[in-house]
Amino acid sequence: MPTLADVETWYAARGWTVFDFQRECWAAYAAGESGLIHAPTGAGKTLAAWIGALLQADSGGDEPLRVIWITPMRALAADTAAGLQQASDALGAGWNVELRTGDTGSAARARQRKRLPQALVTTPESLSLLLSYADLIPQFAGLHSVIVDEWHELIGSKRGVQTELCLSRLRALAPRLRSWGLSATLGNLDEASQVLVGTRRPARIVAGVAPKRTIIETLIPPAIQRFAWAGHLGLPQLPQVLAALESARSSLVFTNTRSQAERWFEALSSAKPEWPMALHHGSLDAQLRREVEAGLKAGELRAVVATSSLDLGVDFTPVDQVVQIGGPKGVARLLQRAGRSGHRPGETSRIVCVPTMALELAEFAAARRAAAAGVIESRRPLRNSLDVLAQHVVTLALTGQLSAAQLRAEIANTHAYAALSDAEWNWVLDFVMHGGSALAAYPQYRKVVERDGLLHVDDATLARRHRMSVGTIVSDTMMRVSYLRGGSLGSVEESFISRLKPGDGFVFAGRRVSLLKVRDMTAYVKPGSTASLIPRWMGGRMPLSSELAGTLTELLSEPAGAAGAAPELQALAPLLSVQQRWSQLPRPGVLLVERAASREGQHWFVYPMAGRHVHEGLSALLAYRLAQRSPLTCSFSVNDYGFELLARKLPAIDAAGLHALLAIEDLDIDLPASINASEMARRRFREIARIAGLVFEGFPGAGGDARKTVKQIQASSGLIYDVLARYDPENRLTRQALSEALEQQLDYQRLRETLQRLRSGRIEIVDVERFTPLAFPLWADRLNSHRVSSEGVHERITRMLADLEAAASETAAPRRARRAKA
Amino acid sequence: MQIDIAGEAMLLDHRRALLWPRRRTLVVADVHLGKGSAFRRAGVPVPSGSTRDDLARLSALIDEHRAERLLVLGDLFHAQLQAHEPWFADMERFTARHPALEFRVVRGNHDRIAGVPAHWRIQWREAPLVDAPFVFMHDAAPSPLGYALGGHLHPVTTLRDAHDKLRLPVFWLRAHYGVLPSFGAFTGGFEARASRDDRLAAVTPERVIALPRTCNDAGAPQR
Repeated sequence: MPTLADVETWYAARGWTVFDFQRECWAAYAAGESGLIHAPTGAGKTLAAWIGALLQADSGGDEPLRVIWITPMRALAADTAAGLQQASDALGAGWNVELRTGDTGSAARARQRKRLPQALVTTPESLSLLLSYADLIPQFAGLHSVIVDEWHELIGSKRGVQTELCLSRLRALAPRLRSWGLSATLGNLDEASQVLVGTRRPARIVAGVAPKRTIIETLIPPAIQRFAWAGHLGLPQLPQVLAALESARSSLVFTNTRSQAERWFEALSSAKPEWPMALHHGSLDAQLRREVEAGLKAGELRAVVATSSLDLGVDFTPVDQVVQIGGPKGVARLLQRAGRSGHRPGETSRIVCVPTMALELAEFAAARRAAAAGVIESRRPLRNSLDVLAQHVVTLALTGQLSAAQLRAEIANTHAYAALSDAEWNWVLDFVMHGGSALAAYPQYRKVVERDGLLHVDDATLARRHRMSVGTIVSDTMMRVSYLRGGSLGSVEESFISRLKPGDGFVFAGRRVSLLKVRDMTAYVKPGSTASLIPRWMGGRMPLSSELAGTLTELLSEPAGAAGAAPELQALAPLLSVQQRWSQLPRPGVLLVERAASREGQHWFVYPMAGRHVHEGLSALLAYRLAQRSPLTCSFSVNDYGFELLARKLPAIDAAGLHALLAIEDLDIDLPASINASEMARRRFREIARIAGLVFEGFPGAGGDARKTVKQIQASSGLIYDVLARYDPENRLTRQALSEALEQQLDYQRLRETLQRLRSGRIEIVDVERFTPLAFPLWADRLNSHRVSSEGVHERITRMLADLEAAASETAAPRRARRAKA
Repeated sequence: MQIDIAGEAMLLDHRRALLWPRRRTLVVADVHLGKGSAFRRAGVPVPSGSTRDDLARLSALIDEHRAERLLVLGDLFHAQLQAHEPWFADMERFTARHPALEFRVVRGNHDRIAGVPAHWRIQWREAPLVDAPFVFMHDAAPSPLGYALGGHLHPVTTLRDAHDKLRLPVFWLRAHYGVLPSFGAFTGGFEARASRDDRLAAVTPERVIALPRTCNDAGAPQR
């Protein structure tokens, strides 16, 4: 059994000193306490938790499973395990640290089935799976602790809920279990720690070394007038970014999306082919990513262009400089990324920010102000997610050792289900046993059965299929990209490949390749092409956090260009003065609405400055209420600053009329109606359907008959949603889709507050000749727009056809003219 | 909607059916009866009711058009029949209700014939059914025997402009063959990749609307 003295000797040998917070953690662990350790990355959190556990080792390699270490990223698990093993060996604890993830081979799995190591590094999904095996249950009895790494990444998501459920199960199997979480700083640490340890125990919150000072700098574009108002590439800033990279030995270049990372890597490496540089994002093959991580550690790389795939985890050797391309969207995220430089506790870290559109200048200034004021985002834990619960019930029923009442008692101690009503619990039981409520007809359905008071899954096929779909991560249908002669590059969305013909080229994994053929969900490519087409991945966009949105509005309403103003805002001054000349500047107490006409129709640009989520709700509500007044088909799209409504014709309206449309009265009726009308709930249902086992993704390795059977029961979540809405309107999963849309997508609470604020304010309607600097990004980045219609399909199709005809005759004419000139 | 196909006057019905008035024949494709049951049997909880509604719609079409012959272009059933399933009784009632109906099915990839009661009087065909000027098959492809009509693809098309977007089932009529929309309500759709010379007719809740050729590219993915 290692002692504190052993630890001190080891630390001294490596030139480290023990931090007070680490000592506090070890003592708390020894006393059997649970809690949360928060500190910036690289501040020694890992050892604060792990050594606490090692100090309790008694008979080394003969011990049963003592520690489960949960990491959110499979890709990081191997490094984590190696680090833990090293510490265990150095202290002579004699523990074996093994991995159990989706990548673990069958031999290791079989060995672990017989005997688990003293410490197991795993993901929430793999842990769930382990809990489904009855024969493993006795092995959990000697468990000392579960340590959840990067808890801030899990809490607030359904993976966090899944983790809570796993913890509740482990607490039932090992009643004296400690739970420790490692987290970056969060706005709601108290809540985060309570969620982790469960509702029935006290949680100790341990603060790591005081946050290091962070310097946030912005590369101000030289000519703001010529600077793009919209577009998310920012490549005009390339020379300045190159200059910044020139000045440092090693840099990490963070982008917000995978496409952006590909684009920037391509641009940087064509400008500096002699620099050793690499690309890292979540869709690249794991092997490629590992090579990049190794190169980074070995200090061989001048620069790595990365997405949030490098936000997490392993303690990389510090880089000299961190560059952030595009708006940070959140304070915590920017600080976390900045923390990658000067990677030593207490040191100053520095981040160089590169705006990709004009208004992001203000975002950076807002992030600096918010960081200085200590404003940090919260991650709100989810409650009552019936889809995740249904999955968990089936998972545990696979063991055949639990009664419904026991299960109910276990989950009652989780934050996620502490407030679950009996009606909801009974519905979930009905769902897994009978398909739906007793009233709706679900003949022949069976999955979970109750026998001798215990829950079972008798059908081996169902059991296997469930085990294959455990988890809450929902991805688009992905297609692997491989060289014909072997070597996988990673994966792209199937829809991207389906648009290409053999011979077409694209850029992926930082390489130019061309498509040879598509076989068995693999796109075979060969090196070389001239095309610079870059895949897009869905769902890469983060909304501006409410904390940052608040600071941003505050900044924009301050006199621009004033002495002492942030340099970003001084740079923005010319643009804001264009906005002022053509329209107005948004300011507190006034809602600015711009009306414009284009060949697309009539536009309203509305700027509540309340962040993307609230705008999505407001625009849906406004579009819905407009459509209720007269037949109308209206599309709407949002960004963090405002939203756009677009229809062929929008009604003439004055400020009083708009006030009425934004009235808070009847919000609880109109908002759900607008969510349904715009199919937001239907879209939201996709994830729920996957988690609750209503849809399946293709199963790798399932061939022949198994594949055929799965094919027979594959339907899109949209189709299932429609069938449920029609034949089982009381289904709670479709209702969950609605409430998720309300609470998560639209941030109902903030939306209410915004409406309250607008009620007492003024509305200024300005007719503009051209799209203003604020309107232009909304128009240009119109992605993922929703629509609401109160017209019949027939009217809509007739109108679209008339428009199409008109457009066709318009475009035909100039084309002929051009040809004549040639 | 009236339309000329291979020189014959045909009627496209918005309930996703094709009527050949001269031969008093109702043609549908991809009905997928019992799909919900197949899901439930395999442990996927979808509610029942869609098969019953599909059969009711089929009955209404037969009655209204006074069809003497029903021609199903494959995938009448979604999976192996189970006599104890409730929709089996719905099918009993359907066949009993149309005693004089000639009921022909060109077998599709989903159809399992084993266990289908003889008194339903379904005449199965493995090979395409020739009835000049048409050749009826499941997965339509050009045929030397005539203009081919089939299903299998569940074609839909997406119309969009700046402020609107509609995804609708279509009758997809090409130079040498045509594809019917899927009949079953619990069926998905796949984007028809129409070329310049194809004709598309979109199904709306009230009627079928011929789409101008300019829509033929509209279905192709954008950007």
